[in-house]
Amino acid sequence: MEPSEIISVENLVEVYADGTRALEGISFNVKKGEFFGFLGPNGAGKSTTIKILTTLLKKTSGHVQVAGYDLEKSPKEIRKVIGVLTQETIIDVDLTGKENLRLQGRLQQMHGSALEKRVDELLKTVQLEEFANKPAGRYSGGMKKRLDLASALIHKPKLLFLDEPTTGLDPQARASIWDYLDELNREEGITIFLTTQYLEEADKLCRRLSIIDHGKIVAGGSPTELKQAIGHDTITLSLKNPKDSLLRSETKRILQEIPGVMDVTDSDGGIAAHAKNADEIIADVVTALDRNNIRPTSLNMSSPTLDDVFLHHTGRRIRPEELGRKPTEQILM
Amino acid sequence: MTLFYDIQSLFQRALTKLSRNPTLLFVHLFTPLLFLILFSQLLQKLGIFLGPTGSYLAYLTPGILVLNLVIGMPSGQSIVSDLDSGFLQKVLLTPASRSAILLGRLMSDLLVLMAQSAIIIGVAMLLGLRIATGVGGLLLIFVTFAFFGLAWFGLSLALGLKTKNSETLSAVSNILALPLMFISSGLFPTSIMPLWARTVSDYNPLSYVANVTRGLVEGGLTWSTFASAYAVIGLIAIVTFGATLYLFRKVVS
Repeated sequence: MEPSEIISVENLVEVYADGTRALEGISFNVKKGEFFGFLGPNGAGKSTTIKILTTLLKKTSGHVQVAGYDLEKSPKEIRKVIGVLTQETIIDVDLTGKENLRLQGRLQQMHGSALEKRVDELLKTVQLEEFANKPAGRYSGGMKKRLDLASALIHKPKLLFLDEPTTGLDPQARASIWDYLDELNREEGITIFLTTQYLEEADKLCRRLSIIDHGKIVAGGSPTELKQAIGHDTITLSLKNPKDSLLRSETKRILQEIPGVMDVTDSDGGIAAHAKNADEIIADVVTALDRNNIRPTSLNMSSPTLDDVFLHHTGRRIRPEELGRKPTEQILM
Repeated sequence: MTLFYDIQSLFQRALTKLSRNPTLLFVHLFTPLLFLILFSQLLQKLGIFLGPTGSYLAYLTPGILVLNLVIGMPSGQSIVSDLDSGFLQKVLLTPASRSAILLGRLMSDLLVLMAQSAIIIGVAMLLGLRIATGVGGLLLIFVTFAFFGLAWFGLSLALGLKTKNSETLSAVSNILALPLMFISSGLFPTSIMPLWARTVSDYNPLSYVANVTRGLVEGGLTWSTFASAYAVIGLIAIVTFGATLYLFRKVVS
C-alpha cells in the first residue's frame, strides 16, 4: 500500500455460506482525500464490499488494507478512524437528536466537554439545533438522515463510507445531503467512499468511479474519462418539414463539412451530428445553417451520461426511469 | 476502563428509552400483581395445607416474584429490536466493547427487575406479609433474584438471537413460562397436586428459586435448599450464557 492510499483492495473474494459468489476477486484503491464512487445495480456487490471494508463481514480471501491497518489484525483501529452511513437510516427513535449523538460519541470513546462541544457543533452543521431535544422519532425522513450523518461524523473520521445515502429521500433532502458531502470532502479533506445507484449523484460528486457488476469491476476512471471512453457528443436538430428529403440531404451535407463533425445520421425525424466536443462546434453549426438559410425548429446538444457508460459496460440500464440521454443544453430557435 | 464506559453508555441508553415509555413497566406488572391480590384473597384457605401456622400469602409471594421474572423476556426483545432497527450494527461499527452490548442490556433489565420485585414485595406487605428474616433476608432475596434474573435474561438473549423475531420470542416465552410456573412449587402448595405434577415440580428449576425465597420470607431456610437453588441458578446461567455468547459471536462476525 502506498502512503497516499487510504483503501487498498487486491483480489477480494467473498463467497457466502450458501455458495453465492458475491465478489469474484475485485481490486481497486482509494487515495487520501478522494471522493470515490462505487457504482452498480442492486445485488452487484456494493454493500458486500462496504461490509467487508468496515469490518462487519469477514472476507473469504484477498488482501485489504484500510487506513493503513490490516482488516483482520486491527479491526478496532479501523473502527476508530472510519465513519459509516448505512443505507437504512439508523437512529434511536426514543432518544432525542442530542442524545443520539452523545451516545454515538461515547461509543467512539469520546468524553466530557470535548464531546458536548462536538455534539453542539454537529447539530448546528446539519441544521438540527432547533430540534436537538425532541425525540428523533418525530423527525422527518431527511432530518433523520442528517442526524445519522452527523453521528457518523462525531469522531471526525478520516474516511467516510456512505452506502446509498440518499435512497428514498425527496429531491430537496437529497440535494442538501449532497451539499454537506461535497463540503466535507472539499473543506475538511475527508476521504469519501460512496456507493450509489443514482448516476446523477455519482456524476456530481465523485472524482473517480469504479463500476461493479455481478461481483466484478467492469470499468474505472473519472466520470469524464469514462464518458469520453465510450463515445462522443451529439447535436440533434429538427427541421420544419421532416419529409422534405431535398432539404434533409442538403442539411446533412452542410453539417458534414463543418470541421470537427465526425458523422451525421438520421435520428427520430431529425438529424444528428456526432462530434468529440459538441460545445466547441455548436457556434459553427448555427452559423453554417444560417448562411445557407436553413432554419431548424429545435437544436439539442447532448453528451454521453454515466447511464450510457453503465449500459456500455454492463449491457443494461441501471434504473429504468433514467432511460434516455439527458440534454445538457437546449437552444430553441 | 473502556468496557465499563461502554456498559455505562448502553445502560444509560436503555434507561432513557424506558423512561420515555414508562407504561411498559406497569403493563408488565399487571399480571403478577393481579395474581398476588386475587390468589391471596380468594384462595386464603390454602393455608391449611401449609401446616398449623401456614400463611398462603407468605407461600404465594415468592412464587409471584418468580412469575414476574419469567413472564417477560425484556433482554431478548430489546436485542431483537436492535437487530431489526440496525442499531446493533451501528454499535458494532464503533470500537466499543462487544461484551458491553450484552452487559449494558442485562444491567438495565436487572435494575427494572429489582424495582418490580420491590413493588411486589411492597404490595404483599400491604396485604399483611411479614418477612421473618428481616432486612438481611430481604437483601438476600434481591441477590437471589439478581442471579436468577441474569440466568433467565441470558436465556431470553439466546432465544432472541436465535429467533430474531419478537413474535416468536413472545410465543416461546409464554409457552415456556406459564406451564413451568403452574407446575412448580411457586403458586400452589405441592401437597394438593397429583403425584405426576409433584414429580415435575420437584425437578422444576423455578421451584428451587421459589423455595429458597420462601425460606427467606418465612424463616427456617436450610443450607441444602440454599445450595441447591444456587446450583440450579448457576447451571441455567452457564447454559444460557454459553448459548448467548455462541450466537452473539455469529451475529458479530
